[in-house]
Amino acid sequence: MEENAKVKTVCGYCGTGCGLILEVDQNKIVKIRGDKDAPVNKGQTCVKGSFAYEYVHANSRLTSPLIRKAGKLVETTWNEAYQFIVEKLKDIKSQFGPDAITMFATARSTNEVNYVTQKFMRTVIGSNNIDGCNRT
Amino acid sequence: MFGSGFPTNTLEDFDKAEVLLLMGSNTTEAHPIIANRMKKAVKSGLKIIVIDPRKIDMVKSSHRHLQINVGSDIALMNAMIHVIIEEELYKPSFINKFTVDFDTLKEQVKMYTPEFAAKITGVAAQDIIDTAREYAKADKAMIAYTLGITEHHCGVNNVFDIANLALLTGHIGKEGSGIMPLRGQNNVQGAGDMGCLPNQLPGAVSLTNDEYRGRFEKAWNVKINPESGDTQTRAFENMENGSVKALYCIGENPLVADVHMHHTRQLLEKLDLLIVQDIFLTETAKLADVVLPARSWGEVEGTYTNTDRRIQRVRKAVEAHPNTKDDWEILCDISTRLGYNMHYNSSEEIWDELRSLAWEMYGGMPYSRLEKEYSLHYPCPDESHPGTFILHQRYHDEDETSTRQSPFVPVMYTEPIELPDEEYPFTLTTGRRYESYNTHTQTKFYASGVKIKQTEETADIHPEDATRLGIESGDLVEVSSRRGAVTVKAKVTDQVAPGLVFMSFHFSEVPTNVLTINEFDPISGTAEFKACAVKIRALQ
Repeated sequence: MEENAKVKTVCGYCGTGCGLILEVDQNKIVKIRGDKDAPVNKGQTCVKGSFAYEYVHANSRLTSPLIRKAGKLVETTWNEAYQFIVEKLKDIKSQFGPDAITMFATARSTNEVNYVTQKFMRTVIGSNNIDGCNRT
Repeated sequence: MFGSGFPTNTLEDFDKAEVLLLMGSNTTEAHPIIANRMKKAVKSGLKIIVIDPRKIDMVKSSHRHLQINVGSDIALMNAMIHVIIEEELYKPSFINKFTVDFDTLKEQVKMYTPEFAAKITGVAAQDIIDTAREYAKADKAMIAYTLGITEHHCGVNNVFDIANLALLTGHIGKEGSGIMPLRGQNNVQGAGDMGCLPNQLPGAVSLTNDEYRGRFEKAWNVKINPESGDTQTRAFENMENGSVKALYCIGENPLVADVHMHHTRQLLEKLDLLIVQDIFLTETAKLADVVLPARSWGEVEGTYTNTDRRIQRVRKAVEAHPNTKDDWEILCDISTRLGYNMHYNSSEEIWDELRSLAWEMYGGMPYSRLEKEYSLHYPCPDESHPGTFILHQRYHDEDETSTRQSPFVPVMYTEPIELPDEEYPFTLTTGRRYESYNTHTQTKFYASGVKIKQTEETADIHPEDATRLGIESGDLVEVSSRRGAVTVKAKVTDQVAPGLVFMSFHFSEVPTNVLTINEFDPISGTAEFKACAVKIRALQ
């Protein structure tokens, strides 16, 4: 029997930063163990870290951009979604200035995403209106 | 006060301390693995003093439990400072060399006798005195805190008073001595450090620093406004007065997570443009004009920063749905279409750009080194640097000649904004539960076969209150405040004190934040999730 692929990563829930080993079978996470080499948890995990991963493969995951038409959110293409956003942001910025736009960044995504998020606000939008759920 | 708000030590320091003040942290449920570490340290002599309005699980491992009234932390800490000064349990030489405004502190805490604080906190004066002595006299002592400290209208003052205590006793800047805020989200430390705050740039340096801002202006070829932008709570105010027209919300569910939900909904509905970028159609996304499908943990590469300033690699385990995109890709696409070209081939390329700009912090930690060493603590300016385990070590450096002195920031106790009264006789305090995470969009998907104990929300009330109201565990009750009402099952438990009700906000079926109050700390913008007045009515 072929062994499942194993991927080392860090837990995505709380701020402890436990190292995990994900077992992957047919592009699905099938098991999570604590990583014994991980300096923070030395192989331990909590119930969220080891079992609450099914959301990654949930059927209710968003797989298409959605746009509001006649009051309802309907599926659309990336291109149409981008066009809509770009036009609206341009309008709002030229009419009301950059500070009429505000960003809620996410403390759940990577440092790299957060770096790009604030760069987006401070360059192309031109506003420091950016905050995370750090406060909530 | 110390020049930065970083966690000062590492998690390993809990093993080395003699005394730990654990404040407003339900560690067992919110940070289970850190709780395991603390409990293990207790076996080798650590004395934990739990300061919390609830009889949380950590109390079992504690040396003492100070079951304070919700929101009375400053009264308690000021009384501890009062005792430490009165009994001269501080080192005058340390105070003279490293601090200023000691006299102001002394003056400010004069009225906070243990007896005075006992009345406010509900804790016996002798317990306050003993705790002050134990903390001050320990050779090594730590303070750890979580949202029980910050989610108050006086959250920033609470944190200042923690720093006052640590500075007064010199419990800062050495092994086993320091202050550790325990972060609730995997990358809340990192998001702020990366500059996702209205007042700071990547590397956690203030926008007002001209040299530092200039570095980014040059690299990005733009002018950056040196003035702070809006905090999230200010953003809501500006939505209300109409000056904010567009909100771009990434991976967050403010409608359910934030205080005073009915009001939040009205503000989001009022916007000209609401963009939500997420992995699920959250309650907030349902109000959006446009929703963008992002990739989740397990599908992306990058790094997180944990609660002790440790950078670690997160890796892709599975291929995402092809019609989703990584958050940074989406932002680059929109930026480029708006006329500012942004393009990266990988998360590593982004990390390297950050490392070159904020090199004092991250210069020495390329992905290749993180691969080898698993984790590195910033600041780590170059590749020969081992990383920094303890901040502020200058306080204990014999040869320290710097004239830089840390000011005390004396603070006054202020009572919660909404106190219980005849009509709303209970105090509601909110928090998290072990098996669930925030607004539960992810933790409702447990692997099959896992037995979950708490599958729905409960209002946790004390047996005395339950008897008086004729309520038993499992009975449906209505909990209402001046802002809204929810129907929820009661759970009778002596974990809460009489007069106190505890609820989480994990379950959208019971939107607890319709009850909470729209009041904020004026400095941080953090909402007073931890205290509002409610009444409870049994439903037959």
